[in-house]
Amino acid sequence: MKFLSDALAVASNEFRQFRRNRTAILISLVVLPLFFTASLGAGRGGAGTHFSPTAEIPVAFVDNDYTIASSRLLEALVGSGDFNHLILGYREENAIAALGTGRIYAAIVVPKGFQQDLNNNQTGQIVLYTDDGEPGVSDQISSTLGSVVQDFNPGVDVQNQANRGFSQIEIIQKGAIFSGFNIGLVIVLGVVQIFATFYEIAGGMSREREEGTFARLLASPTGLGPIMFGKTLFDLVLATLRTLIVLGTAMFFYGARPNTDFGTLIAVSLLIALVTMGFGFLVSALRVGARAVVIVEFFLVLFLFAFSGLVIDKELLRGLSRTISTLLPWAYGFELLRRTVLIGRPLLALTYDLEYVILATALFYGVSYLLFARTRERLAF
Amino acid sequence: MNHLVGDSVAIAYKEIKQLSRDPVSLVLTFMFPILLIGIFITIAGAFSAPSYNIPVAVADLDSSPASKVLVDKMTTSPIVRVTELLPTEEQALLRVESGDVMGAVTIPQGFGESLLATGHAYIVIQTDNSKITAPMLIQISVNRDAQDLITTFGEQFGIKSAAVNVIVRPISGRPATGDTILPGFLGMITILGAFDDIVNAITRERERGTFPRLLLSPANIFSIYSGKMVATVILTALRTTLMILIFTLMGLVVRGNILLIYFATTLIAMFTMSLGLVMSSRIRAASTLTILEIAVTFPMFQLTGIFESPELLAPGGRAIARLLPWTYGNEALRRVIYLGLGLDAIAGDLLVLLISSLVMLPIATALSKRTM
Repeated sequence: MKFLSDALAVASNEFRQFRRNRTAILISLVVLPLFFTASLGAGRGGAGTHFSPTAEIPVAFVDNDYTIASSRLLEALVGSGDFNHLILGYREENAIAALGTGRIYAAIVVPKGFQQDLNNNQTGQIVLYTDDGEPGVSDQISSTLGSVVQDFNPGVDVQNQANRGFSQIEIIQKGAIFSGFNIGLVIVLGVVQIFATFYEIAGGMSREREEGTFARLLASPTGLGPIMFGKTLFDLVLATLRTLIVLGTAMFFYGARPNTDFGTLIAVSLLIALVTMGFGFLVSALRVGARAVVIVEFFLVLFLFAFSGLVIDKELLRGLSRTISTLLPWAYGFELLRRTVLIGRPLLALTYDLEYVILATALFYGVSYLLFARTRERLAF
Repeated sequence: MNHLVGDSVAIAYKEIKQLSRDPVSLVLTFMFPILLIGIFITIAGAFSAPSYNIPVAVADLDSSPASKVLVDKMTTSPIVRVTELLPTEEQALLRVESGDVMGAVTIPQGFGESLLATGHAYIVIQTDNSKITAPMLIQISVNRDAQDLITTFGEQFGIKSAAVNVIVRPISGRPATGDTILPGFLGMITILGAFDDIVNAITRERERGTFPRLLLSPANIFSIYSGKMVATVILTALRTTLMILIFTLMGLVVRGNILLIYFATTLIAMFTMSLGLVMSSRIRAASTLTILEIAVTFPMFQLTGIFESPELLAPGGRAIARLLPWTYGNEALRRVIYLGLGLDAIAGDLLVLLISSLVMLPIATALSKRTM
């Protein structure tokens, strides 16, 4: 009973301090959740919106064939909806010279003899010059162009759009396809929690130490357990609020529809927050200063981007990076988020990931408790 | 004017001296780009791995010579690893849903016959689309195997390979390796470095109590800020040198004038510093400012074209990207490094950065005076 009342006292003290710190409120509940979610929405569009990445990219169309086939090719490109910004009138050499200046990002050149090749039942060739100084643009335009012209039929005015990309062997994709926003939402949910909770716990502890209030807290009759539990309680409330803000923004402004129930979402989000809190306590038990906390945080987030399946699936990593990825509990947390939010699997069915995250949390809390208990006098100053 | 320049130089000298006496900050200033690049090499290495061995299940419901050739091609693919050959499509799909494999390929009954009779056929794939890269790689691999099959069978049975073939000619002539984001990385390191410099320069000085003393000195606030900016420019140049050296060791060929790279990174750093000065006039604690700056920086990776061109973003994102001066800085770096373009081609980008800094600096000065 005393444990609980002490923990509640610590938590309410944390809330009081938090309420008085406008910057902390701003960062924790406004900047991090809103800014991350809004940036995702801006970059990827809403969950229900579909846009062709190449549609508005200025691309030159150079016709050196001047035949019915080449003009039908132009019509096919315009009609596809993937090339709404085709610029005509360039000569081939001028178009190539304009690449890299930002005026155009690619030039589609229809060479002389294009119609003749098609009429002779040979494969027609078109040349695509691209500005490969822009990351991703070249690949995106060439693959989109390839899929538009793959089944081009010079004999008809209106090309068949339904079978786009259907050449000899059509690949039919089954199963749920998730929008870029929904996939990004999983990342944002996790990263926002990790970013904020680590700073709140490790940064908060180091600030208390630097301001001298941690020594007073340790000198009070409150035990170490209630202090850690109280701080955890406080941060769990903030983590819940953050989850609600991210989800609210994603659902109401960007049309996201998670594939799982609300309770599971909060539970997974709080699990990720808890493992991060445990790590935060562990780092602060090592007596690091506020500046070091920020540095650790920066590299923690970078590590997560590299090794937690946020940029490349962890299953595709090899060697040392695979080992790091296997050890990082956050990688399992992201897996939980993906499997529940996107695929809609029940949380309790993901036993391995769940067990790993819970074990890591217990380990972090246990080790940091021991470290705090052994070196509490030293840690206070 | 002489006074202004003299004071600025004195402040810049003080900043560098202070940094040289703080070994932790000194190491961090130069170590963090190296660590960042280390992480990048790991990511890029994973992307350009010769094989991935992505587990897939195959259900060959056709068992024709054509389907057998396709399965053979899949089993020798460097991207996917056929872990199971299953008798039904349902079983293959179940394997994906349970997470045992990342993809399932089903070759339907009549596949070979249809291909030979009409020149067209279809196959079905199901991928675990909650993964980031595996679904795309599986599709690429299966598509490639299908094209190979057409080539093999096309010669034998006269199937035409494609109506129109697209020949891609990138203008830089650079090999398509994992270094497509290196210039963006240089931009990012410049931004993060300049943010760290501003935290060192203002907020930590405030925490130590030396900032009011500096303000009480005969140097005016504009000289103080420009001095700190000069110090940042020097540090940025050193960081840029380090990065170029690392890039060169990684095999990146800088096609343009190297001085233009320094010019671009200097302007990126100046703008970042100006923005940092504005932020530091409202936020007093060094750790809070740093965390806010890091928080602001991460979404910028997407919006300023570090990993992917802003042209590929959704319309809203593209508009935001065009409002951010860093986008122009990264664009200038790419044009110089990859395309070897000169000052005339990047003048517009550099001008945006310069004007943004010139607008931001007086705002920072005015805000600082107000909150002194």
